[in-house]
Amino acid sequence: MQVLLSGLAIGAIYGLVAMGFAIAFYVTRVINFAEGQLLMVGVMVAAWFARTGLDPWIAIVLGILAAAAVGAVTYLVAVRPVLAFDRFSFAWLVSTLGVALILENGAALVWGPTSRSFPALLTGTSVHVGSATLTLQEVVTIGVAIAAAIGFELYRRRTLFGKLGMAIAHDPEMATALGANTVLVATAAFALAGAFAGLAGVLIGPITYSNPYLGDTYGIAGFVALMIGGTSRPAAAMAGGLLLGILGEAANKLIDTQASDWFPFVVVVVMLLVLPEGLLSLAAPFRRAVRRARAPAGATG
Amino acid sequence: MTAASRVPAAWRPAAFVAALAGYGVFAYWAAHSTLYIQGLVLVAAVFGMLAVSLDLVAGMTGLYSLGHAGLFALGAYATTILYNDHHWNLFLILPTCLLGVGAVGLVLGAISLRVSGLYFAITTFVFTLVVTVFASDSTFTGGYGGLIGPIFPEFPSSLSWAGQSVIWACLIALLITTLVVLAIRSSPLYPVLLAIRDAEPFAAAAGASTAAVRIGVFGLSAAIAGGAGWMFAFQGIVSPSQFSWQVSVNILVMVILGGINTTIGPILGAVFITVFPAQVNINPFWQEVLFGALFVGVIVIFPSGFVGLVRLIGRQIGRSLGLAGPAAPRVEEEQPGIVDAAAVSAVARAEERSAASGSNGSGPETPAIDCRDISFRYGSGPLVLNGVDFTVRRATIHGLIGPNGSGKSTLVDLISGRLRPVGGSIEIEGVAVDREGVTKRVGHGVARTFQSAVLVNELSARQNVQVGLYSRVPRLAARSLAWPALPSARRDGRRLRQTVDDSLAFVGAREWGRVRLADAPHGIAQLTQLAAACAWGPRTLILDEPLAGLAPSEVEHAASILAKLKSTGVSIVLIEHQPRFVFALCDEVTVLAAGEVVASGPAAAVREDEHVREVYLGQ
Repeated sequence: MQVLLSGLAIGAIYGLVAMGFAIAFYVTRVINFAEGQLLMVGVMVAAWFARTGLDPWIAIVLGILAAAAVGAVTYLVAVRPVLAFDRFSFAWLVSTLGVALILENGAALVWGPTSRSFPALLTGTSVHVGSATLTLQEVVTIGVAIAAAIGFELYRRRTLFGKLGMAIAHDPEMATALGANTVLVATAAFALAGAFAGLAGVLIGPITYSNPYLGDTYGIAGFVALMIGGTSRPAAAMAGGLLLGILGEAANKLIDTQASDWFPFVVVVVMLLVLPEGLLSLAAPFRRAVRRARAPAGATG
Repeated sequence: MTAASRVPAAWRPAAFVAALAGYGVFAYWAAHSTLYIQGLVLVAAVFGMLAVSLDLVAGMTGLYSLGHAGLFALGAYATTILYNDHHWNLFLILPTCLLGVGAVGLVLGAISLRVSGLYFAITTFVFTLVVTVFASDSTFTGGYGGLIGPIFPEFPSSLSWAGQSVIWACLIALLITTLVVLAIRSSPLYPVLLAIRDAEPFAAAAGASTAAVRIGVFGLSAAIAGGAGWMFAFQGIVSPSQFSWQVSVNILVMVILGGINTTIGPILGAVFITVFPAQVNINPFWQEVLFGALFVGVIVIFPSGFVGLVRLIGRQIGRSLGLAGPAAPRVEEEQPGIVDAAAVSAVARAEERSAASGSNGSGPETPAIDCRDISFRYGSGPLVLNGVDFTVRRATIHGLIGPNGSGKSTLVDLISGRLRPVGGSIEIEGVAVDREGVTKRVGHGVARTFQSAVLVNELSARQNVQVGLYSRVPRLAARSLAWPALPSARRDGRRLRQTVDDSLAFVGAREWGRVRLADAPHGIAQLTQLAAACAWGPRTLILDEPLAGLAPSEVEHAASILAKLKSTGVSIVLIEHQPRFVFALCDEVTVLAAGEVVASGPAAAVREDEHVREVYLGQ
């Protein structure tokens, strides 16, 4: 039980980062490798404002906004020009990793390479769930992450803006021809992706403190979660994150305390070997069958 | 093509020898320089090898591997461990590394190329992560601290004047790597690789098993990375941080910085990225920030790298000096119909050859293509084709017409093997081909073209036609590794060029042979496609709207070419939208509508058919 809940708490963080990856990906077909660094930006900026004496809650909001802003700038500076040159090139692999380097070392330059404190708001309170004990922070993390996943999925499916994202991913030229402002939508997607990472950052901040190298750890974990969930739907990435969190905690408990260093990779290798489209691709044939059963027999289209 | 192609042919051997001599002088200097410089040269040479090997997959086949750091690590660790713990001879370890890491590359390629190019990048990325995590957490790899590598044996005293042996070794390794990749670039395999990258259906229709070629090229690239790992082990310490995923990205940056698909560019990129941080001594954080800015800046501002920049400047200087490039030829003014007789006979000869080698005793009465009761649907959608019978007699032109969406292109894809039918059977010249893929069906003498010309735009018309000849050059893939040095290759190359010229002349596009397709008009692309399809002498030709977008005079020209092909015994399936043209040219016509055959038979009869007039001609 403790393993399950602690796993969910850390998995929720991975899931938020993975959703950040997925949101940017589902509109632009680009994996923003600076996503982990956006989490770090959220943590660092929030911690910095808190240190200046600002109310910690406002500092946290500013941290999230900063991550969103940096996400939008990443798109405009490092992704947009690459796609404008050749929509199918993979050169963004390099340019987004360049952004990651700039952010990480830039943060180390500005705030120093060592860990600084982060306002602890909720870590002090414990919550008992059955035999397990969680901090209030962890409970809030799980709640916020699940709410964010559900909220985003509803938004994506039910609103015009969300559907526009899918249309742009499928064929940007056509979407532009239909009057969609692809640049605006893509920038918004990157900003939202940044906000998700920033949110993950301020949720994990009280545990990890603020450190310029946070981005590496959580970026890779989020990426692994994305692989587990598959890139097709952002909400699936959250499921991948939760699963990864639980598996990692279980491995620490059952194998040895360092197991969560390498265990996720074993999971990912197995995933890529068996189900390269992600775990939830298993559900696709099932869903198709349901759809066929629902459609009236002989229907075309 | 590289800059070498602009050097006059007579100078090329001399230029090659001069470049080699210069390289030798540099090696001699480096082998006598300070230990600090030697260290830099060793690392730069190793990364040069890695960048060249990555450029081979990324530039020529379009696969952005992020697994090269992992493959590199395998080579370095294998060398160190086999030497330290098992006391193998270092020169026995080298082939072991090449073959072993090459084999790992083949497996990795086979696994990761099942899905799209992006998954390839991701899978190889994860491979690197796994290798470094494994190396950090295992005891026999020395964990985070790593292992101390072997020391390269000194020259014997008779050779001691040459200086430090390891410097010679690494520079020779880089030279061999570069020469092998340049050999591939100069071989007829190069256009095929670019076709696999940019126009996969075209390459497959030419008989190239695209998946196998891709995996093979990745395997070769992995072997080179393994060799680079062997070399790197002599640098001192082998530890996980030297092979992290950032290193994979660094190698990719070297390739893009220098100029992707230029072979020489990536070496320049490798030298720059290795030497720059060592020479510019600043705050390490600033240095990393600068590096990141460089990644972004190069990709955003100059996506074609150093070599691209040099070419651009060179072209501008040339222009300002008034040295205009060769003027683009004008459209063939030759009258349609007056085609070089030699070219016709060359194509006809190719016919005979393939007819003699191919048909399995099937007489001229056996239909060229015989489809029975074909049904097809995409995924779980509705039936696109429903109970279609389609028979093409030998040495006839068979028109396949029907409104948009009637299933014409789908039927052609089923015949050529790109798609598999849900029901029904297909015979080519009396042989059931239901179980065969695209490549095997090419073996039955079937060639095809595509609706919107699928070609390699950055290559010339001649090189594109060469792709069509892939199946006519025996063991091309293996021989390409040493192509310029093989006497048999010289002979084959000459024959290949002759056939290419003949078939371009045959379609009347010879003048355009050296023009990049990106700069040629649409009609020339269509003709090039046709030339590529008939160059190797197929017995059955499937043409998917070969006349789309052609000017009226060009249409007549194309019609005369088809008539001529028919006269040499080729059976032709012609998908077309212009009814007037179809009925005049075709012997038989099949009309499809909504996935079913509406009418089929001699052209004149089909034309008079009430039903056809109704659904298709709109009368």
